[in-house]
Amino acid sequence: MHIHAYEKLWLAASVLLILLLLGSVTYGAVGPGVAMVSDSEQPVDATALDEDERFSEPRVEQVGENEYAAYVVAFQFGFQPDPIVIPEDSTVTFYVTSRDVIHGFEVAGTNANTMVVPGEVSEITVETDEPTEYGLICNEYCGAGHHVMEGKVNVVSQAEYENQTSGGDGE
Amino acid sequence: MGRNETAHAPADDVSGDTEEFDPIGTLTLIGIYFTILVLSWVYIYYIEFLGRDLVVVG
Ligand SMILES: [Cu+2]
Repeated sequence: MHIHAYEKLWLAASVLLILLLLGSVTYGAVGPGVAMVSDSEQPVDATALDEDERFSEPRVEQVGENEYAAYVVAFQFGFQPDPIVIPEDSTVTFYVTSRDVIHGFEVAGTNANTMVVPGEVSEITVETDEPTEYGLICNEYCGAGHHVMEGKVNVVSQAEYENQTSGGDGE
Repeated sequence: MGRNETAHAPADDVSGDTEEFDPIGTLTLIGIYFTILVLSWVYIYYIEFLGRDLVVVG
């Protein structure tokens, strides 16, 4: 079969494009370790979150050396805790659930973004850098107050974090 | 297949390299599209996506 030289050229180019696509996704997974929202969490009873070990008092706690877990409850119309205070240069896993309807959990301007489904726990792990303040928004329409549903994720210095946890109100 | 555009080529043309049909404009256009595509992909994935804070790693 005769194939025009140009046609061979753009066939080769399309194969190259596919390889580039697969290559960068593979690179993302192997290099920076990009992962999906985990589906390994067991369901919870959304109507009884106040009896749940993790979500009865939404909080951030240390679970390992430089590893933290943030248990977050989304509700109409806000997030708990507010603000979510996490230390710099650490690995933080967010466990987010909802006590009413479907919400979103998007740390504005970052890749931390997941749906929040009542009865399910969304788990995402991120690594923090320097101290900074992020906005936290709900990106799933959840009712009349959706547009005011917001929170804060504050990345603070290690010293400030320790100060806050040992310093008293034991939230 | 490839020869339905080569109107002047004889049906038994086996001469191979002699291309009468030479759509250099189309080639250039596809080349430009291709470059835009590759540059946008590199920008969107490597710079915009991987460059943002709080990359989800687990
Ligand atoms: Cu909402």
